[in-house]
Amino acid sequence: MPVLELLIAGILLGGLYALMACGLNLVFGVMRVINFAHGDLIAVGALTTVSIVAGYNLPFAVAIVVVPLLAAAIGLAMQVLVIRRIADGPMIMSLLATFALSTIIVNVSILIWGGGYRGLPGVLGGSFRFLGQDIALSRMVSFLVAMAATLGVWWFLQNTRFGRAIRSVSQAPELATINGISIDAVRNVTFALGAAMAGLAGVLLAPTFASDPQLGARFGIKCFAVIIVGGMGSYPGAMLAALLLGVIEVFSGYVMGQVIGSAILFLIMLTVLLVRPRGLLGLGVRA
Amino acid sequence: MKATLVMGTACILAAVLPFVGSEYVLSFTVQLYVFVALAYSWNLIGGYAGYTHFGQVAFFGVGAYTGALMMDAGFHWLVAAAAAGLSGALLALPLGGAMLRVKGPFFAIGMFGMARVCESFALGFDNITQGGTGIYLLPVSDLKPLYFTLAAIALGLVLLTWRLDNSRLGLQLLAIREDETAADALGVRTTRLKIGAFVVSAIAPGAVGSLYATYLSFIDPMTAFAPMTELTTIAMVLLGGMGTVFGPLIGVLAMSVVNELLWSRFPEIYLAIVGVVILFVVLWMPRGIVSFLAHRQWSWVPVARGSLRRLASRPRIAARPKEAH
Repeated sequence: MPVLELLIAGILLGGLYALMACGLNLVFGVMRVINFAHGDLIAVGALTTVSIVAGYNLPFAVAIVVVPLLAAAIGLAMQVLVIRRIADGPMIMSLLATFALSTIIVNVSILIWGGGYRGLPGVLGGSFRFLGQDIALSRMVSFLVAMAATLGVWWFLQNTRFGRAIRSVSQAPELATINGISIDAVRNVTFALGAAMAGLAGVLLAPTFASDPQLGARFGIKCFAVIIVGGMGSYPGAMLAALLLGVIEVFSGYVMGQVIGSAILFLIMLTVLLVRPRGLLGLGVRA
Repeated sequence: MKATLVMGTACILAAVLPFVGSEYVLSFTVQLYVFVALAYSWNLIGGYAGYTHFGQVAFFGVGAYTGALMMDAGFHWLVAAAAAGLSGALLALPLGGAMLRVKGPFFAIGMFGMARVCESFALGFDNITQGGTGIYLLPVSDLKPLYFTLAAIALGLVLLTWRLDNSRLGLQLLAIREDETAADALGVRTTRLKIGAFVVSAIAPGAVGSLYATYLSFIDPMTAFAPMTELTTIAMVLLGGMGTVFGPLIGVLAMSVVNELLWSRFPEIYLAIVGVVILFVVLWMPRGIVSFLAHRQWSWVPVARGSLRRLASRPRIAARPKEAH
């Protein structure tokens, strides 16, 4: 078994999962809303990237800047038009609403881009040698940008005034209100930020994976597995779990074949739910 | 009384339909029964117990495959359907045990993933399931027994819900939906009831999946685990009214028309519309159509605690004479 090769591949994949899952987890932490449309924002990001780079012949760097902004705008619209109205209601309502949004986004995407797979051949092509292994340039760039963004948001949450406001709304909304923090403003910004992270993840997976409007469900499940294993609402937990699950997915795909490998994250998620529902670093779900 | 009369007429109509109706009417009704069974099953766990269920299609698909494989091995389709129902329950038991023990959104996430995992297994284990090619079955020569079996399952579920709605058990499920901690404190065995409701709600989808495979005499992963089945069912229950006796029926009738008009020709537009319907109901009509049709608020309990409070602050209309439903 080529341990080193698989390990590197797993960590590179895990970095991308970290970016996807942290956005989802951030939104859950602040709003207690599970965004089922998160995966579909990733899909929209990937497909828009393909359109920008292959359709309009613009450089990949343009997509890295433009697509997260677009995703943030979509996310903000979702939050302002729909989720804000029901975020404080029973959880079943917000789950159904984001599920409905997911359906709408998927099918509108199919109407726009068609149902087929689209790739970005030649973008960030080539490879280089690292630790005696051939590593695809696109995967390495994806990993680095994803980790930079994830850690950047982490720094923002820890060290800036607004970041502290986000964390306080996440941990004690009542106390945050008493201290003059506008919960609405924090929620809007958080949702837009989470959506932008999904959009960026979409940009970064476009050169490596084939994109289609349905990829949201596939990656969405992985995001869910990551935040459950890491602990819902825990940002460092999600980063840790993402790298761990990326490695596990690559190894199990190699050992047990593609079929089991594709479902392994889900099975791990079920096990964690049975054994330790709060996850590795989780705070538990507030009732 | 009126409701009984309507129900009776509908039953008689359903009984004579296969003898007088055209092929098209028959296929439409079979579809209708499938969705009635799915919607009422969803209503048990989603409407009464209040747990959002995004993976019912997993049981439908697993049932379809269990049934198809049994029929392939030479069993009668009725035996296959029974086995498929059992397979749904057997799958639901450990899943419910894992995901319903903890509160919150785990169940929604878990079942959402389960459906996709089942689909990837059906595609991947192609030495058993023939993968994407699908399993072709011998067509059933006479569709009438199949029709009546589906009708019986649909009717049985409606009657079961009717019975449940006025029972202690139904109230306990509603108590779980409204406030699980309080229900627990009052001695409702929440975990056992939730898992029980979930397992019961998995039997009919399994059986119906197998019957649907018999009806089509073909099954493949795309048909068995179609997101369209899932979404349509949820939209039907929501539109009609979650946690009500007749809401899902009304939802099924309303959505079936939309389905018939759009699904085969414009599937994307249809699914987007289903999404819009769900969104609309969640935002502006969380109690569904039934609350508009009949102001009989004693026959169902509001969906949200907020609306319960609003209801309590309103002058009661319930003083009007109580009709039988």
